[in-house]
Amino acid sequence: MSSFSLASTALPAPPWPQSGVQDTSQAGQPTPLDDPREWDAFSRPRKDHPDQLESSVAVEGMHCAACSLTVEQALLGVPGVVAASVSASGQRAQVTWRPAQVLPSGWMQAVAMAGYRLVPLQDSGARARRQADTRQALWRWGVAGLGMMQVMMYAYPAYIAQPGEIPGELEQLLRWASWVISLPVLLFSCGPFFRQAWRDLLQRRVSMDLPVALGIAITFAISTVGTFEPLGPFGHEVYFDSLTMFVFFLLSGRWLELRLRDRTAGALEALISRLPDGVERQCADGSFERVAARRVVAGDVLRVHAGETFVADALVQNGHTQVDEALLTGESQAVHRGPGASVVAGSHNLSGTVLVQVLRAGQATRFAQIVSLMESAAASKPAAARLADALARPFLLAVLAAAALGAAWNWGQGPAHALMVAVAVLVVTCPCALSLAAPAALLASAGALARQGIWVRRLQALETLATVDTVVFDKTGTLTEEAMNVGAIHTRAGVTPQQALAMACALAKHSLHPVSRALCAAAPGEVQPAWHCAHVVELTGRGLRGIAHGNTQTAALRLGTATFCRVQRAPPTTGTCVHLSDRSGWLASFDIAERLRPQAAQAVEALRQDGVTVRLMSGDTPQAVAPVAAAAGIRDMQAQCSPDGKLALLRQLQAQGHRVAMVGDGLNDGPVLAGAEVSFAFGRSVPLAQAQADVVMPGGRLMDVAHTLRRARSAVAVVRQNLVWALVYNAACVPLAIVGWLPAWLAGLGMAGSSLLVVLNAARLATSLSTEGAATSLPLENP
Amino acid sequence: MDILFLLLPLSVVLVFFILGALWWAIDRGQFEDIEAEGERILSDP
Repeated sequence: MSSFSLASTALPAPPWPQSGVQDTSQAGQPTPLDDPREWDAFSRPRKDHPDQLESSVAVEGMHCAACSLTVEQALLGVPGVVAASVSASGQRAQVTWRPAQVLPSGWMQAVAMAGYRLVPLQDSGARARRQADTRQALWRWGVAGLGMMQVMMYAYPAYIAQPGEIPGELEQLLRWASWVISLPVLLFSCGPFFRQAWRDLLQRRVSMDLPVALGIAITFAISTVGTFEPLGPFGHEVYFDSLTMFVFFLLSGRWLELRLRDRTAGALEALISRLPDGVERQCADGSFERVAARRVVAGDVLRVHAGETFVADALVQNGHTQVDEALLTGESQAVHRGPGASVVAGSHNLSGTVLVQVLRAGQATRFAQIVSLMESAAASKPAAARLADALARPFLLAVLAAAALGAAWNWGQGPAHALMVAVAVLVVTCPCALSLAAPAALLASAGALARQGIWVRRLQALETLATVDTVVFDKTGTLTEEAMNVGAIHTRAGVTPQQALAMACALAKHSLHPVSRALCAAAPGEVQPAWHCAHVVELTGRGLRGIAHGNTQTAALRLGTATFCRVQRAPPTTGTCVHLSDRSGWLASFDIAERLRPQAAQAVEALRQDGVTVRLMSGDTPQAVAPVAAAAGIRDMQAQCSPDGKLALLRQLQAQGHRVAMVGDGLNDGPVLAGAEVSFAFGRSVPLAQAQADVVMPGGRLMDVAHTLRRARSAVAVVRQNLVWALVYNAACVPLAIVGWLPAWLAGLGMAGSSLLVVLNAARLATSLSTEGAATSLPLENP
Repeated sequence: MDILFLLLPLSVVLVFFILGALWWAIDRGQFEDIEAEGERILSDP
């Protein structure tokens, strides 16, 4: 197999005794990270101490707050680590260390010895931006809050005093003090509203910031005039307290929304393994080494296996394969690529191992794709939100008209009062409840699911999932465990089982199919003669074929189904049987047994209780499928489905009016997953950036499907509640405001309270259902 | 109540100081992870 190599000079040994434990559980992690060129992905130099680096890492295995202290102490015990702070809620740590004294593998190993695992977070750019945004939002909110409290104190005497009780100069001073305090509130806290409103005016659009900005501007204007010309038309009353109050309430709603979004994004990011992407590159002597994807330059020759992504634009030199370019073209049709054809960065290699020469290397690492997928998931607008946005424009125009109407109605009571009525109308009708309703609920659900280890790629999928009435499971790798066991091995005369296994393994290691991996896992380490293969072709649903070279012999081998290997053998009564044949005929047969996942029956029962029909579709023989279906409790099963057959069956179900969700391992079910209303990519065999699936479940727990369905249904219920509330609230408050019964500050309170209510109702989704076996530790154990 | 003519402007100045302190605290990252600081008292030294 490939070996890690370090493309830099020799490293100093860490200054404490190396333990004998080789930490194979860390899956070969340390070495690439000690390369200084990797550091700027997850570290940056400290501002005031440039000889120290600050690194962000995700911590795996923490299940309580006390664990964070253990991790901190383990880190601080390493000489060379200056500071460490661990966040239990964010499952991440910030480590400050001196490169001259210690290397990342050093402090990572210290934590490993304490029983936890550190994985570098390569998101420093996005996270820094989010942190800056959060700080700015917090500052604005703080200024508004402090301003509100102080201005209220200055305004209070005017509320309770009898006319003439307060001396004129004192009243003037109080107004002046309110004005001064309102200035920073206006300057810092209202910036976003004015900026957005200005942009809207320039683009002749109407958004919810326009009424708010207008309301704030009018209030401040008439209050300022009232402060400096107390004897003028506006001098009777000033409204700085209303102004600061509704700015504060508005910002509170936005702050909560930001926190919710931050938590969702943070949870999603923490799920992704952050090891440098590895790709096999050919060295000068012809062997292959695994290097980080970002080190690849034009002219490198790479070997890309099935299931991997092409990290750069390249030209195929050797081998044939099917490539999925859905990430780029949106079409999930597998296209064939042979020698001389070019492949694009970001596309998936579906079926065979190819040798490619890099034409252009760029930003198309798996991480960049995932970031863009994540950003698209967070930014994608569900149908309800789009509807709300479409309604917003005429709604807001109506609001402006209503404000004018209110002002006209009340003009007789003095221009100041009339304008404040207009302000009240503008402020109370903020439709942010409408546009917040759907995104808030869906984001909260997605965030809660992310904490459980389920990654929702498209928010729209949650809405669709609530309407699903049929769930179709794939068998291999989904209902059954990915690791299959090799049972009895039958060989022809002259071949020992170990030799047969070694030959099969030579072919099988080029494939990600669970059967192939079971064979590789069972193969003995070193056997004579050693075999290796080139030119391996994988045919979906049938098998692998290739030319194997041993010490002295060459054989054209076929590994797969009986028909593919041209072998006549009675199929076993249970389980599958995989055959190996060469040019002279049958070589060996391996009995493969599979285990049902522990939660299978439970998940099927839970789905059935929710009113969902469960079906099973598999390409395997009926003898293999029937026992699995019986054990899981699924009555409708279909065996021997080719990928086209699965798609046809899916279309049939949809034609009958069913809405179907498909659960598969993503690799072979591409078109079917794309065709279903909602698709779940299951298990660890799938590289995370599978473009077809709507929901990715790397944790491999079948109950997650039932959980996601339940959460989707409650999310849609909350969206409906929120929309109803928004409509009722607006219908009740606008007439009140027009007539003049709603003072401006109450309007602000009402509007912000309505938005808060919507967000809090959505936040309920983030915590409910948390007792249903949620796992708080990160699900990725072996990347 | 003449003292109010001194106290009111003084309070305005005080508010600006408080705002400055708030800015300083936010900029130094003191609000990044509020839960962890609360739990720190439960740790053994």
